[in-house]
Amino acid sequence: MLNRPLSPWQIPVLVLALIVVLFPIFWLVMTAIKPPIDWNASPAIWIPSEPTLINFQTLFDPDAIRAHGVGGVSQSATRAVLGSIMASLSSTFLAVALGLISAIGLSRYSRTNWATPLIILSGRMFPPAAIAVPFVIIFSMTNLMDTYPGLVAIYTAVTLPFSTWMLKSFVDDLPREMEEAAMLDGKSRLAAHLTITLPLIKGGLFSTTMLVFILNWSEYMFAQVLSNTKIATIPVQLAKYVTATAGTLYGVQAALAVLAMVPLIIGGYFIQGHLARGLTFGAIKK
Amino acid sequence: MEPFLGLTASGLSKNYGPKKALDNVSFKAPKAGFTVILGPGGAGKTTTLRLLAGLEPQLRGEIFLGDTEISKLAPKDRNLAMIFDNLALYPNKNGFQNLASPLIQRKVPFEQIRSRVFEIAEKLNLSLVLDRLPKTMSGGEKQRLALGRALVREPRFFLLDEPLSSLDAPLRYVIRAELKRLQREEGHSFLMATPDFTEALAVADTIIVLNEGKVVQTGDQSDIYDRPVNTHTALFVGSPQINLLRSGYSNGRISLLGQQLPCPAHLSEVLAQRNLAKFTIGLRPENVSLILPNGPTTIDKSPNEKPNNPQNPLYPDILAQGPIIDIESLGRTLSVTVGIGRELVTMLAPATVLDQISIGLVVDFKIKDPTGLSAFDIAGLNIAA
Repeated sequence: MLNRPLSPWQIPVLVLALIVVLFPIFWLVMTAIKPPIDWNASPAIWIPSEPTLINFQTLFDPDAIRAHGVGGVSQSATRAVLGSIMASLSSTFLAVALGLISAIGLSRYSRTNWATPLIILSGRMFPPAAIAVPFVIIFSMTNLMDTYPGLVAIYTAVTLPFSTWMLKSFVDDLPREMEEAAMLDGKSRLAAHLTITLPLIKGGLFSTTMLVFILNWSEYMFAQVLSNTKIATIPVQLAKYVTATAGTLYGVQAALAVLAMVPLIIGGYFIQGHLARGLTFGAIKK
Repeated sequence: MEPFLGLTASGLSKNYGPKKALDNVSFKAPKAGFTVILGPGGAGKTTTLRLLAGLEPQLRGEIFLGDTEISKLAPKDRNLAMIFDNLALYPNKNGFQNLASPLIQRKVPFEQIRSRVFEIAEKLNLSLVLDRLPKTMSGGEKQRLALGRALVREPRFFLLDEPLSSLDAPLRYVIRAELKRLQREEGHSFLMATPDFTEALAVADTIIVLNEGKVVQTGDQSDIYDRPVNTHTALFVGSPQINLLRSGYSNGRISLLGQQLPCPAHLSEVLAQRNLAKFTIGLRPENVSLILPNGPTTIDKSPNEKPNNPQNPLYPDILAQGPIIDIESLGRTLSVTVGIGRELVTMLAPATVLDQISIGLVVDFKIKDPTGLSAFDIAGLNIAA
């Protein structure tokens, strides 16, 4: 990390960049506390004069908003929040656990230098929309459509390349001789990995877990395409607040988005140092 | 015959893809001895040690410790310790924990671990770094810690993979001497890989020369230095490098630098037998004496130099004459290179003559000891070996 004072001309540029990045978040938070009348008022109301929690209340009590005559949904967001938590946690656990095994395997026991890594990445070389349709067909045939196991399976598959590559870059940073010294001193291969490798990459393991969780938590397309009435996630629920039947529940939508942001902000804060490594599949190191 | 108690490698072969890393490598490393595998980078030294340790499977061959075959055992069951060139200290463990880890892994009771660790730390002068992490230690401390971690367990054999390569020169001499002393005093069995011939000559009882995955020569210092089995070993061992000069044999005389010389006694029989019209003479720089107008120069004898035989009266006082091409200071001696026609001869001279010589000056030189000459055929093999 460069640690030098900013030159005078860098400051206005940074301020401008910050405004561009932070403005949507500011608008979102403000909308979440606006009463329905202010949601799409013209001219725009930047900061509501009478902030309200009705939008948050509506998330879990859908009828609360009906009196304002701006439309409504029948489903509480509870199911979507629980669905997101469950799907994200289980697929994150699976992707990281499988990714760890693959990472150690690729880093320590693979003789191929490019073929296997490339094959692992190939699933991420298409736009997700291109593989969504085949999955709809496969899921229909295997009765995984509109089920959490189906969603967890596809989330695991989609994030596994990330976790494998990110973890591999951490394992690669460790000299293999550390494990080998332990093997000569009386450990089996597995025990050497568990007692030597694992404690030394725990920072990387934590960052990878966070990154994969963030990816799963904010995933929309697969959840939308592969769910119907029985399951929901937060991004899917978000879309339901602005539709032809529900009306334009901007404030409620913003309220759920604000709630959904909380784990992302916390997670992002902890892994900011490793984010570049994760998003480049381990190519960039701190 | 007494049973061999050391480490025996028999016909070890190993491929990396289509590349032969080791090709039928066999040797014996005696118990309580200091054996050195000497070879340039890529010769297969590390691969050999890794195969012995069981960290990689061999394609063919067996490994014996004493008369027990260990080639099929897991690394942990071979009772060997290895010191890696990057030391492989655990960065998250302090000095004490690093030293103790082999014993903890063998489930030794804690009181025994404590006394053993303190004993080793005392011996290796590590007492002050026991509560520090490796990243706060100096190069020498890390080196001794890695050594200590291997010693703490008393394995039957120690494998050392270029253990001194990360140290700067002065420290390398210190630790090298410490290694040798420790090995001798405690009767440890060491097998060390190094690309540095001075290191090998300094510590080894037995030297195994490895090149391109094959054992080229096995022997003690004088076998390797005075009777190199081929020109590769001759060039690899010794600094400045041995002079390789074109020569020929006819009727009991050899030609060298345009002169006809009587054939040295130790070469006469084999040269007469093979009657080689063309071969190569190997002439060590310290076996050439630079002659200045006020007489021949002499240098202090190196430990590897044998006392001069009485001068062969048939040998000319001056072998040849030529201009100085290059002068390089080696501290107390100079490496002086003289050109004779298309050939170059490098010789050692005392540093005190530096102000009497200069590039371009035409000087004389002679061979000090004809018995120190070696001869190689056109394939590069020592014809007397």
